[in-house]
Amino acid sequence: MKNTIKVERAKKNWTQEDLAGEIGISRQSVNSIETGKFIPSTTLALKMAKVFGVSVESIFQLETTD
Amino acid sequence: MERTKKNVNLNSIIYALVYGATYLPATLLLKYRVFGQPLSIIIAVIPIITFAIFILKFIKAFSVMDEVKQRVQLEAVVIGFSLTAMLIMLLFLLSLCDISDFGWFGYANLLGFCWIFYFVGWFISKKKYGV
Repeated sequence: MKNTIKVERAKKNWTQEDLAGEIGISRQSVNSIETGKFIPSTTLALKMAKVFGVSVESIFQLETTD
Repeated sequence: MERTKKNVNLNSIIYALVYGATYLPATLLLKYRVFGQPLSIIIAVIPIITFAIFILKFIKAFSVMDEVKQRVQLEAVVIGFSLTAMLIMLLFLLSLCDISDFGWFGYANLLGFCWIFYFVGWFISKKKYGV
């Protein structure tokens, strides 16, 4: 699964630390999700979409291998 | 909220240290038979109580961790438990072959191996998720 978290962060000029604070997780966890090492739960994905003001589908997309 | 999470995590670390601080002296006191049997039994039970408190604090800390950290802890415990179970199974099966002279695999050593396996699992899982 690929994601556009880094792009969305850049649009808001947020660091990983800022995003972590907004959604209530650690910076390391944001990094793990952003680099695709961890697939977040629906709740966390929805929280991210909410703070970025976009839909979940626009942040997380399935790849052909998924 | 963030401070509460940190306090809960800190609590579990403090109780792990308290457990260590009661287990090691208790082992030494019991090994060298410093006290009579009734007091020795009480000394033997103390580390069990502190370990139980540590586990309760650990479960509480687990419940306030974010989902990535929960996954890391879960995998660490699964790896630690599995490796310990495999070691115990191996020792048991070897003992059935009348091979039971394992100097490094007494009860005390097995407990140490259990902790080592947990930390191996923790390290592997942390590397896997990059946290």
